[in-house]
This record gives sequence, structure tokens and C-alpha cells, in this order.
Amino acid sequence: MRSVLRDDIRNFSIIAHIDHGKSTLADRLLEVTGTVALRDMQDQLLDTLDLERERGITIKAQAVRMEYTARDGRPYELNLIDTPGHVDFTYEVSRALAACEGAVLVVDATQGIEAQTLANVDLALEHDLEIIPVINKIDLPAADPELVRREIEEVIGLPGSGALLASARQGIGIEEILEAVVARVPPPQGDPEAPLKALIFDAKYDAYRGVVVYVRVVDGSVTPGERIRMMATEKEFVVDEVGVFRPMMTPTDGLTTGEVGYLIASIKNVRDSKVGDTVTLADRPAAAALPGYRSVTPMVYAGIFPIDSDDVQELKEALEKLNLNDASLVWEPEASAALGFGFRCGFLGLLHMEIVQERLEREFNLSLITTAPTVEYRVRLRTGEVIAVDNPEKLPDPSAIDEILEPRCTATILVPSAQVGTVMELCQEKRGEFRNLEHQAGDRVALTYDLPLGEIIHDFYDQLKSRSRGYASLNYELTGFRAERLVKLDIMVGGQRVDALSMIVHRDRANLHGRKLAERLRKLIPRQLFEVPIQAAVGGKIIARETVSAMRKDVLAKCYGGDITRKRKLLEKQKEGKRRMKRVGSVEIPQEAFMAVLQMDED
Amino acid sequence: MTDPHAAGRVGIRSLYLHIPFCERRCEYCDFVSLPGRDREAEYVEALRAEVRGLAARLGRLELDTVFVGGGTPSFVDPDRLGGVLDEVRAGFALAPGCEVTLEANPSSTSDARAAAWLEAGFNRVSLGIQSLEPDILAFLGRVHDRERALAAVDEVRLAGFSRISCDLIYAVPGLDDARWRSTLERVAALGPGHVSAYELTVEAGTPLHASVRRGEKPAVDPEAALRQHRIAVAVLGGAGLRQYEVSNYAQAGEECRHNLVYWRRGHYLGVGLGAHGHLPAGVGALVDIPVPPGAVGLRYWHGRSLPAYVERCRDGSGALPIEGSEAVTAAGAEAERILLGLRLAEGIAVSGPLGERAEALVGADLLWRRDGRLGATAQGQEVLDEVIRQLVA
Repeated sequence: MRSVLRDDIRNFSIIAHIDHGKSTLADRLLEVTGTVALRDMQDQLLDTLDLERERGITIKAQAVRMEYTARDGRPYELNLIDTPGHVDFTYEVSRALAACEGAVLVVDATQGIEAQTLANVDLALEHDLEIIPVINKIDLPAADPELVRREIEEVIGLPGSGALLASARQGIGIEEILEAVVARVPPPQGDPEAPLKALIFDAKYDAYRGVVVYVRVVDGSVTPGERIRMMATEKEFVVDEVGVFRPMMTPTDGLTTGEVGYLIASIKNVRDSKVGDTVTLADRPAAAALPGYRSVTPMVYAGIFPIDSDDVQELKEALEKLNLNDASLVWEPEASAALGFGFRCGFLGLLHMEIVQERLEREFNLSLITTAPTVEYRVRLRTGEVIAVDNPEKLPDPSAIDEILEPRCTATILVPSAQVGTVMELCQEKRGEFRNLEHQAGDRVALTYDLPLGEIIHDFYDQLKSRSRGYASLNYELTGFRAERLVKLDIMVGGQRVDALSMIVHRDRANLHGRKLAERLRKLIPRQLFEVPIQAAVGGKIIARETVSAMRKDVLAKCYGGDITRKRKLLEKQKEGKRRMKRVGSVEIPQEAFMAVLQMDED
Repeated sequence: MTDPHAAGRVGIRSLYLHIPFCERRCEYCDFVSLPGRDREAEYVEALRAEVRGLAARLGRLELDTVFVGGGTPSFVDPDRLGGVLDEVRAGFALAPGCEVTLEANPSSTSDARAAAWLEAGFNRVSLGIQSLEPDILAFLGRVHDRERALAAVDEVRLAGFSRISCDLIYAVPGLDDARWRSTLERVAALGPGHVSAYELTVEAGTPLHASVRRGEKPAVDPEAALRQHRIAVAVLGGAGLRQYEVSNYAQAGEECRHNLVYWRRGHYLGVGLGAHGHLPAGVGALVDIPVPPGAVGLRYWHGRSLPAYVERCRDGSGALPIEGSEAVTAAGAEAERILLGLRLAEGIAVSGPLGERAEALVGADLLWRRDGRLGATAQGQEVLDEVIRQLVA
């Protein structure tokens, strides 16, 4: 039985392309509803990680309960679920949206609709969400709200007249948005008498309380003391506390149908409360889990190694700690001839990888080398067996290989029509296969290509941005695997093969890649006391060679009484700088060199 | 009177005195230098007060070297310079043959002054010739010209100085190899017993650094620096001036003994604005420098503000006007020994782990090792800073 239990609840989310003003709008909503006193207000309140604030992105989902008395005189409970805004976190977004009945779609009045906007709208529509379009940043001189209104109508198919005009930064149109949430987002439906079904849309680890599970109660209710079961993992726990976010965690007697809040149940590991899983009662389980759960699989893999090999245990502990909060990060020990012991890590995407690396270095004070990211290939052996290879080093001997299959994806690219030619060229260069071209409002084109995932994760996005002067946007979805003529490209530095620089490339492009990578490495490896040859090879055959010439003159001219303290301190600083480099044979290779493959098309 | 052998005081046999005044500040100079002589009298008084204070605390030490550097000491009234040496002689004993050097610029050198310096007790003059090329002198912001530079050498020699050093600068933008070679040849022909040839170093905080950063002046060309370094080694060596330190050349026995103290990690007192000193750890208590456990030596320094210095020397408390100090640990001392000693042709004593770390560099002909010593080859000297970075543990 589905019934409207609480018609004063509205669960909604804000969706937007990156930089379109989602976090700023959330801040204004919190302010206007008095959820956060003005004096406690800080920018991007819901983005609690330092990294989120600094980079202006949302990595973890957040939820907050706001109380709002609408113009109809009635008090409402508005639950805002803030979602990650990046393509790497598409699944997490989908679960957060599944916890809502409505979505505020923020579109930048100067930028219009972008690929990520569309992807999020598609997700919201899949979940039958009521979408309230908001044209943000109307105070900017370059704003063209009418064009954006038309785009909303023509590209998304929503009535443009329903779009609200706002400037989150200036506080314009905020009440109208709250009123629209009350008036247009339907109240939650569900059966309060049915067995508990609560959707997990995020979880975070708290050092004192264990895992805090973010839930939306779909049916039934949950109170402290009850024994719960996670339906996918089949793990059971006793609930210690339930509550809501105001925005700090505030305990309540229980959470009932339609409500959004948290539960704490002495859960030690976020892996036991997977995003998308359904929480039910152990004694009275629901018949079926909520739809949409899937186990998250990494898209890209890279090795992470400590520069100082003594730090490997610390790195392991740091990864374990990050894992407490980030179940999507997977890793296993890896040994590299060049880099020593480290960990092969799987990430949702490049942004996720960058975030993990940055957090490891920052929060755990580690100096790390991250090798170039790679996708996971499938290798069909002559024996007929198919194995997964997420590390070029693990590629079996060519004689044992029947074929190598690479992951492919469908990429949707939105680009102003003036730049469509150059973007199509880029897709061709990246071995893309044309699928579709559609003209859209605002003189824009939607391109669809079938592309190797391996090409997308390299510098595709940067190239796309630079060739379109920042206007193009990208969304992609993994579609499957396809056999291609792939080979392993090896790099030798100072005559010694550096396994961490190996990569899997297409045979036709191996020479070009080899040349560019060698050239790039020559620029990144500083001059040393000796000449350093850099070679690229495929199957033992050298295809490119560059040389870092030996250092010519490096000697302080004057060194007298007063200089000695300074000179010794300078020496100590330089030694510290050297510790940021990895010594391979007799060559010191800086961190950046291991990421060279990512910037091969630069300069 | 305490035992002069106590606390290693007898290990201190050198004294540096700083005179900050200059006619004008050179574009590349990062030593403490003040244009004009406005506060000369009070500064020299303060300097003498510090010398007196040191002597009172340390007892009458015997000195092998005294060096009056700057700034431009020659710019100061010769009587006042004489007064400074009088003060030194009052508080310290000068060992027989003590080397007493004065830094001088050609523009403040004359027959009369040179005679006065000799009379005051100086026995060595280091002349800041820098270049004989008008455009290069202009680039460096020097006030003298070629003729004055050459005349100054004659003046000090005629006054009776037998120990003369000439300072030169190379790798100055605009200075080509041929002109550098002819500068070296001309200077060598004057017959000084000592020449210093420095690559132009653009130090942060100098007017030159600012000009280069703004793009108003070109940066030093490293290839020219390398070629001109080699030219200096060849030309000066051919004239009997052997390279005994990266940038210093001398006839046998004419090496600057004062500077050798620095490079051999010897001890010295530093007096005056911006001056640094190096003391045995045991001496710290005598000069109110804290000595943490584990210290094997002390380095201390003065501030760079003239009014503050003068004030502190004057306040009558008897406290030395030292701004800061650091304790040198055993590891720090070893790093210093390597980074200073490898600058010298004589190299450093070597054994144990240092020898092991040096092995590959010896094999690559960047270092030589013989008779228990380790030194830089000509090739190694050109990249000495990197060699040192690899050697220091």
C-alpha cells in the first residue's frame, strides 16, 4: 500500500554541471531557511573536505534538513541531498537522486546546458524526479537567460516558462526556489507499516562512532535498538542511534517513511554499508531490495609508490584509512623493479585518482609517485582463457596471447558548432568511431562517438577543453570490450627498463606515442652528472631515442665566511628536493615524469 | 686571567672585520653595503668597541690572519682604518707574519692612501678590479674605469705592498670570450700574486636580480660561464697562478690564508655589520652564545642594520652585538667539510662511508682519490654543487 504519510516533507537534490553554482545555491538555501546562522556560514558549507572547498567540487554526498514556513503559512521539512558533481561519481549521484522526489537543476546563465547537465537530467528523469530548472548567475554581464530558457525547452524538453531566474551569489530568487520545491516536488510516498526499506545513498567514517550511514527511509521505520540487515552484503548490525542533519548530526527517536537522516550501528567498515544497498530489519525483512544497487567497479588503475621505500607500511595504513570513507577505492600490493613496493589502485576516474593521491600526500604527509593510469584490458590467451590486465607489466608474453581486448565507451560531447570540426578531429585521433551528430539550441552540437576508454582517460578531456576553448563538455559510459591490435610500449632510462613507465598502446600509434613520451621525459628529467639516454621500445625494438645531456656547470662562485650557514642550509633544502625524486639505477627521475604519459600532447 | 688554552680559544686565529660603506652599491652585490660615509665615525667607534669587548672576553688571542672587508674599506678615512688595526693590536697579539688584508676599490685607492694603509699595518691588498672593459664595468655599476683600475695596482705596489690580489668577474652579459681572455692576460701581466675570478652570480635581493627578473638585463649565459671559467684556469695557470679554489688563483705561497681558514672549516671571529663567525663549541659560554648538547661548533652572525648595531655596541652592557647563532652538529660539520673542502685543490681527508659514496664519482672522473684525500677533478669542479649533493649523506 503506497500512501502519502507526511505531506510536509520534500526530499530534493541540486544537480548541476561543475562550476554552475550548486554549492553556492545550497549555502543560500541554508541561510534563508535559518538552518545555519549567518555567523556560522562559510562558503560551500556542505563540502566538508578541505579539498572540496579548495577545488570547488563536491566529492561526498551530504544531506541536510531545513525547516521552512512557506507562503501558504505551513511549516515544511525540506531535505536537501547534495550530490557529487563529477562524471567519475555518476553511480553515487544516481543513488542520491533515488532518495529524492525532486531536483533543482542549476544551469549557468552564461554557459548554458553542458554534457554533465544533460547526464544529470537523464538520471533525474530515470528516477521520475520533478525537475525545477533554475537559471543561475543572471547577475553576470554575459548572462543570457532567455537563450538558456530556450535550451531548457529544446534540449531537455522541460517547459522553459517554469525555469526560475536566480543569482545564488547575490541571493536573488532564493525564496522562489524554496516555494517551487514546496509547490512542485511531490511529498514522499511509502508504506509506514511495511517492513523497513531504507536506501543507503552515502556513508562516511567517523573515528569515534564508526560508519555513519546516510539513508532515505522508503517504507517502514527504524529506531535505535533494532537489528538491521544490509540486503546486498547480508551483514547485520544493531542500531545505536538514528537522527537527522541540521546540518550537524542530531539524534531523533526514529526515522520513518519518507524521512532522510542517518543511522549509526557500530559498523566498522564502509564496505559494509554500500551505496545503493537497502537497509531492512533482521527480524522482519523486506521481501525485495530496492532496485538500482550495483557494486562499484574501478575505471582506471595506477600504481602508487612511496618515494622513500621505508614508507610502504605508512602508505598501506593511509590507504586503509581512506578506505574507511571511500569504499570505491580498491588496491592490492604491487612490486615494481623500478619503484619498489607499492600498491596497484583502482579508481572511479582520473579526478578520483587525483583526489586520492592528494589526500594521501596531504593528510598523511607522504611523498608518492603515481604511475600513469591505465584501464583494465581483457586478454584472451591461446588456451582460450580470458584474464583481466590492469597493469601493463602484467601483460603475458606475446606468444601466449591470442588477442587483447580494450574497454570501449560511448562518449557524448556537447560543443559549440564552430568547434565541432576540431573536436571531431580529436575523436578521430583518439581512434573514435563516429556514431551521431545532432544540432541543438544555442548553436550547439551533440556528438556521439564510440571511443576506447584508454584514450579518454589520458589527455582527452584536457584536449577537448583546449580545442573548444573550454566550451565543450563530455560524458561517457562504458559499453564493452573489443579486440584491437595492442602492444606494450616500454621505456628505458639510462639503459634500464622502467616498468612503471610502460603502457599499452595501439600498434599503429606506438611509434608516435613512443616518440612523444621520450621527448616529454627528456624535458621532465633534469640534467644529471652523466648523459641520460631515454629509449622507447616495442617488443625489444627501439622506436625512439632522446638524450638528457649531462649537466654543464653547477658550482657556486663565491663561498666565504658569511655564506657557510646559508650554503649548508641550501644544500639541505636541495637534498630534500632530491628526496622527491626516485632513483632508478643512477638516474634521478622526478615525480612528474611518471605522469608524463598524461601530457604527451602538450607543448 | 683564565688559561688561554681552555675551551679551545687558541683554536681561533683569524679575525674578520666588516666595513659596510661604499661610494655606491654595485648592481650585483649582496654583502652589507651602505652608500656614503655619513655614519662612518660612529660605526668605526662601534666596531672598535666590539673588538674591545671580544678581547676582554676571550683574552689576548694570537691571530694569524686579519681581514678587513666590505663594503669598501678603502673608502673609509685611512686614519680610522689605522685606528681599527690599533684596536685589534691592543686586544690581540698578531703572530709573526700575520696576514692583514684590506679590501680596496680602485676608485678609492691613491698613492697617499696606499702608503697610509701600509703604515697602519696592512700587508696585503685585495683590489676589486672586476673588469677592464668599460661596458662591463657599467653593467656591474662600478664607479672606476680601466685606467683607474690599472693605476690602482701600481699605486699599492709602489707604496710597498708585496701581496696584491685582483678580483675579476666573468660571464657578465656582453663579455665575450676574447675580451675576457685579454682582461685576464692584462691583469696577469701586472704580476699580482693572487687573482680571484668569479662567475657573476645574480643573488636574490640585489638590484641586478630585480633588473634581470623584469627583463631589463639579460641573465647569465651558463655556456659562456663554463667557457670563461675554463679560460681563467688556462690563462691564469699559464701565468703561474695556480687554481687553488674554485674561483681563486695564486702563485705558490700567495694563497689567501684568511680565506683558507673558511674553506678548511677553521675558526674565526667576525666583527661588524653582517659579519659571521665560527667558534669552537667550548667558547660559547665566553661570548654568551648558547651551546646545545651535541654541538661540535658554533656559527654566529650580526644583524644588517647599522643603527641597531651601533646602539648595541654603545649600550655599555658589554654584551656582544650578535644577532643569531646556530650550533653545528657532527653531521652538519661533515656536510660543511665536504662542501667547503672540495672547493680546494687540496681536497679533504677521506675514509669510511664517504669513500664508498664517492666511489662512482671517482669512477666517472669527477673526483680523484689518492693518499687518503678526495678532491674534485677539473671536470668535477664544474659541476661541484651536484657532486656535493650526491656525496653529503
